[in-house]
Amino acid sequence: MSTITRRSFIGSMSASALGLMLSACGGAGSSDTTEAEAIPTDYTLVQEGKLIVASDLDFPPLDSFEGGEAQGFDVDLSYAIGEKLGLEVEYLPPMDFDSIIPLIKNGGKADIGNSAFSITEERKEEIDFTDAYLDSNLGIAVKKDLGISGGEAAIVSALNASDMTVAVQAGTTGEAWVRENLPEANIVPLASVTVCMTGVSTGQYQAFCADLPVIGHQCSVSFTDCTIALEIPTGEQYGIVVSKDNPGLTAAINAALAQIESDGTMAELKKKWFGTE
Amino acid sequence: MGHTATGKRTAVAARIAALAVALMLLVPTSAFALTTNKATARPNEDGGSSVIGGLPTRLTWEGSVEDGEEVTEVTLTLPEGSSFDGSTTKVTVLEGLSRASIDSEVAASGSMLTVSFAEPATSGLLLRLEVEGMHFPDDGGDVVVSGTYVNQAGTQTLTDSKPIKTIANTSLQKMIASLDANPVVAAWNSNPFLGMFFKPQLLVTAFSTLVPGWLLCLVIVVVAYPFAIILGLIFALMKISKSRLLRAIAILYINILRGTPLFLQIYIMFFGLPMMNINIDNNVLGVIVIAINASAYLAEIFRAGIQSIPQGQYEAASSLGMSYFQTMFDIILPQTIRRVIPTVTSDFITSYKDTSLLSSVGVMELMMFAKNLTSVSGNMTPYVAAAIFYLIVTLPLIKAVGIVEERIANSERGGGPRPKDKGAKDMSVAEAEAKLSELAVHASALDDEHAFVPSLSPMNASFGTEV
Repeated sequence: MSTITRRSFIGSMSASALGLMLSACGGAGSSDTTEAEAIPTDYTLVQEGKLIVASDLDFPPLDSFEGGEAQGFDVDLSYAIGEKLGLEVEYLPPMDFDSIIPLIKNGGKADIGNSAFSITEERKEEIDFTDAYLDSNLGIAVKKDLGISGGEAAIVSALNASDMTVAVQAGTTGEAWVRENLPEANIVPLASVTVCMTGVSTGQYQAFCADLPVIGHQCSVSFTDCTIALEIPTGEQYGIVVSKDNPGLTAAINAALAQIESDGTMAELKKKWFGTE
Repeated sequence: MGHTATGKRTAVAARIAALAVALMLLVPTSAFALTTNKATARPNEDGGSSVIGGLPTRLTWEGSVEDGEEVTEVTLTLPEGSSFDGSTTKVTVLEGLSRASIDSEVAASGSMLTVSFAEPATSGLLLRLEVEGMHFPDDGGDVVVSGTYVNQAGTQTLTDSKPIKTIANTSLQKMIASLDANPVVAAWNSNPFLGMFFKPQLLVTAFSTLVPGWLLCLVIVVVAYPFAIILGLIFALMKISKSRLLRAIAILYINILRGTPLFLQIYIMFFGLPMMNINIDNNVLGVIVIAINASAYLAEIFRAGIQSIPQGQYEAASSLGMSYFQTMFDIILPQTIRRVIPTVTSDFITSYKDTSLLSSVGVMELMMFAKNLTSVSGNMTPYVAAAIFYLIVTLPLIKAVGIVEERIANSERGGGPRPKDKGAKDMSVAEAEAKLSELAVHASALDDEHAFVPSLSPMNASFGTEV
């Protein structure tokens, strides 16, 4: 323990992993490190007893809207969080991805946004994120017969041309990546993944950049004439969006997430939706 | 002697040292190298795609650790004038697509940024540094990210990145900066509604960046409209034709196009045609969709216009021995055109506004530019700017429609311009006098006639009193 400096000690206090280490040291007096500690309840909700969730529900396998019901990894996670908090979970009807953060920021409609939000500094200026619950990366989908291949550099240089049109979902990290890495291409921000993929499939757009799990799902399930041209390792992580005015809820969800991780629920969900733990 | 020996020895030592340094410089490039994969910067130009020096942006640097290497520290160096001061760095270490948990510490000062890892990053790992809030030199130019790294063998030189293109601050950006600093603007923006819909900084940006989109809108509708008029006329004539088949086709065409949302028609054209292996340029396709949609409305306008021409006109034409087409093109349509001008102009305005729907499929028109700007800024002001661009065209047209309508209304109730009496104009004064005297004679003759029937006068008078 002597190697742990004061700063890194405090820093890692927040990490749930240290709970075990502290109990091993035995000297930790503070009560919020004990494992079965009750989840804090000093938060406000739009409706008493309800956790209202906003999502675009157009991002399978993470979020989708099938048969009039919200489905996906994120959705199951929301319900698991609701269970830990003792709240009834209610999903709002699907909305445009880029309208969710403004909605949470303005308040009054939904308590949390859970729609595969990558944690970014820009978004942190608008809202609070909970701890990360899932790792992700970006990917680029193209039509199989487009005829571009190679490594990241080759594909980037092929797509970074003025006669290339690249679709993105408005307000996503995929859009930010394209704007930074393909400044010469025509960038088309659209509302839905399906429209983006249809456009790629029909040749309207040469490529679509979005989160890798989603691209993979689209290429293998719905648009089998498309393929993942490039996997972009960005190491981004998803977090749940909470209003800055509601830090209590962020803390409560973080505690719930820690429990979901430690009691094996998270592993189950990953297995259910991605086939791997 | 001893002195020279030491001298020689130092010389040899120096040579060996030099060789060692040379080797050290050579070796890292061949045996191990932390390969710089790329360095990019987020565009920070409002409404543009350039990276502007002197303004905060985000630098992303990626390097892969090669075989047999253990990297403990990476230092990025930027040219003089760049600054990492006040930046925050996100360090991500990836093994393939999964995150590897290696703690790191970041120290930034001036144009140097050092990331030291708690445990060495081993071969195959990807190091990804995202430095938020740094800035490039004010003057712009191509910026190469260079630097050093530390591995088990010591400090090595990083391969230079491909240059990042940066530009000097633009006058537009300076104007925005001055607005940013203005307390009145800040007070204005502190009102949530004004700040969201009428943010001055974004109005300035939008006015300068939306122009190409606005021009494309105009081009699309101006090119589409003549086709729409021709198509509309054809379908109008088909709809009033005697052939049942032609009527059926026209009714189907007009009703389907008028009875479904344009949005849907756009989707079908843009996504449906390529599926049938018909590939047309997006802008041309935009022209086609707008032309076809407008033609259905125009067909109805023309049909109503043609049918509003009194039956007597047809009868008169046929009495002159005119064929159907002669009647249509020489008699009926010229009169129709005058009557439909206001409605057609209104329809033109509608079509012009309808080009906005093309943004949903990625035609780079006005709304697309506004949407782009909104999605980057998270503010609605670009849409307000777009609205102003629409109004620049629509308001004068609406005014013109009003004037034309008024004139037509005047002429129909008899207040319009009258055809001039050609005879009167050509007469000389003498002729006029002759004519006048002739008229006078005529009048006196009439008087004489009256004289023959004096009994009429009292009758007229009595009628007058009765009425």
